[in-house]
Amino acid sequence: MGLKAAAKEIWTRLEDRPVLRSAIAIGGLLGLGLALVLGLAAVGIVSLRFLADNATFLAVPALTSLSATLLSFAIGFAGAIPMGLVRAFAPRILRGEGWRRAAFAPLYGAVTSYVEAIRGTPAFVQIFLVAQVSGLIFPGNPNIPFWGGTLALTINTLGYQTEVFRAGFQSVGQSQVEAAKSIGMRPVQVFLHITLPQGLRLITLPLVNEWVGLFKASALLAYVAVPELLWAASYLGNNRSHPIEAFIMVSSVYLAIIVPLSKAVGWWERKHRIPGLGVAERTVGVGRRRAVVAAGTPAGGLD
Amino acid sequence: MITVQNVHKWFGDLHVLKGVSLQVNKGDALVVIGPSGSGKSTLLRCINLLVQPDEGDVIIDGVKVNDPRIRPEWVRQQVGMVFQSFNLFTHLNALENVMIGLRKVKRMDRAGAEQMARFELERVGLADKADAYPAQLSGGQQQRVAIARALALNPKAVLFDEPTSALDPEFIREVLDVMTKLAEEGMTMVVVTHEMGFAHNVADRVLFMADGVVVEEGTPDEVFDRPQKERTQAFVGKILG
Ligand SMILES: Nc1ncnc2c1ncn2[C@@H]1O[C@H](COP(=O)(O)OP(=O)(O)O)[C@@H](O)[C@H]1O
Ligand SMILES: [Mg+2]
Repeated sequence: MGLKAAAKEIWTRLEDRPVLRSAIAIGGLLGLGLALVLGLAAVGIVSLRFLADNATFLAVPALTSLSATLLSFAIGFAGAIPMGLVRAFAPRILRGEGWRRAAFAPLYGAVTSYVEAIRGTPAFVQIFLVAQVSGLIFPGNPNIPFWGGTLALTINTLGYQTEVFRAGFQSVGQSQVEAAKSIGMRPVQVFLHITLPQGLRLITLPLVNEWVGLFKASALLAYVAVPELLWAASYLGNNRSHPIEAFIMVSSVYLAIIVPLSKAVGWWERKHRIPGLGVAERTVGVGRRRAVVAAGTPAGGLD
Repeated sequence: MITVQNVHKWFGDLHVLKGVSLQVNKGDALVVIGPSGSGKSTLLRCINLLVQPDEGDVIIDGVKVNDPRIRPEWVRQQVGMVFQSFNLFTHLNALENVMIGLRKVKRMDRAGAEQMARFELERVGLADKADAYPAQLSGGQQQRVAIARALALNPKAVLFDEPTSALDPEFIREVLDVMTKLAEEGMTMVVVTHEMGFAHNVADRVLFMADGVVVEEGTPDEVFDRPQKERTQAFVGKILG
């Protein structure tokens, strides 16, 4: 058996050990990166000395990037739930009549325009705009770049997360809502106990994607003078004339945060998976298929 | 117990219920039959106000319930409903499906709700499936959990909308058995079904609906064996094969 075939065999056997598989994959990636850096060092492009001397330089900027991302993501999350609700269910109300329609028409219009504006313009432009405006309002305040940048990220992720929640809420079946009503739940209870928990299950992956995207987009804050990761790396590279080292370092920091995080969420999701809802089972999901068939049975039946 | 008086329902221009009236006495089982699209589901939904009647009255236990002063949530606690496609909450296991109404609607404490939910699962023969999620249960088991969920709220009556027509044939019996036992225990029931054996054995009255009107009503023998109206004869002839 050749080396390749042997590797493939081992990989297949690890089918139901996803954690081990991930560990091997990450380990392999690390090894490759290390080999690359050592190779570059051997031919004199990269200075190992410089890497070692500045190993901790990016720690504080990393915290800055993380804080801006976590804060804006959390606020965006809280805002996206009601806004996603409006996006998901206002169209149905608008088809009716009366005061509800009159009340929801402008609300739906506002939320939809917001989402379109955010998705239709570059994040960089949004960040620049917010930074300029907040600089004008609070001139000379040293904390303004960070808070203005975080505000800009919040405005941005709110638009995207609203659409994620809209999709999640809409994919919770009407029959689930009807069953909840039939046992006497009030609309708020139906939302809190049925639509929200089921919707969250369905959007775990898109939410993680949004977080990762936001974290990477936070690099744009370097251009509005926030001392975050990319800003620090540019500083290091330019001032000490070691740009390649600086960018190898900053890439490693991004990877070191993003890869374990998405792996951890994936692992959590599988560990707490509910048969027939959200992530698929790794093996063939008999129960899942049955649930889909049951839910898809047309009303009317045999006559 | 349940009185429906001259109820009309329009969906846009579609006149689905054209003056339907019926009466179910306490402890009785009424079976509703009729072709697809005749308005059977809409009629049941009008009784527990999942659909608001446009005209006419629904009276439950002496209370006119389609009244703006009555909360529909309160009405739905009085009248349980079992759906054709079960509609168990997919993110909750069997026990939680039965418990959630007790916890959130009846506001019972966890221990009390759990005890009651286990009792209801026992009644439908699923005490050992408390931890299973809907996707891990057969159709027949899911429908029995759905019945337990409706019964847990201790309703005055239960509405069944074609409870066995989404089931594979081998699971129909177990669901009908649970429903038969329930009728024998004196539960007031309105059942849309085309299970003739069940209707014959269990129904006190049978009602034939077509095109949004009640065409004929009587005892099972009257409707199935000696139907008076031509449309009833044609329909009964078809379902009896
Ligand atoms: N929510 C609704 N909106 C519009 N039309 C509906 C709605 N519910 C039912 N209908 C229509 O009303 C008619 C009767 O439906 P239904 O009560 O489900 O009949 P059955 O249960 O006897 O098959 C059908 O034509 C159906 O398409
Ligand atoms: Mg129907």
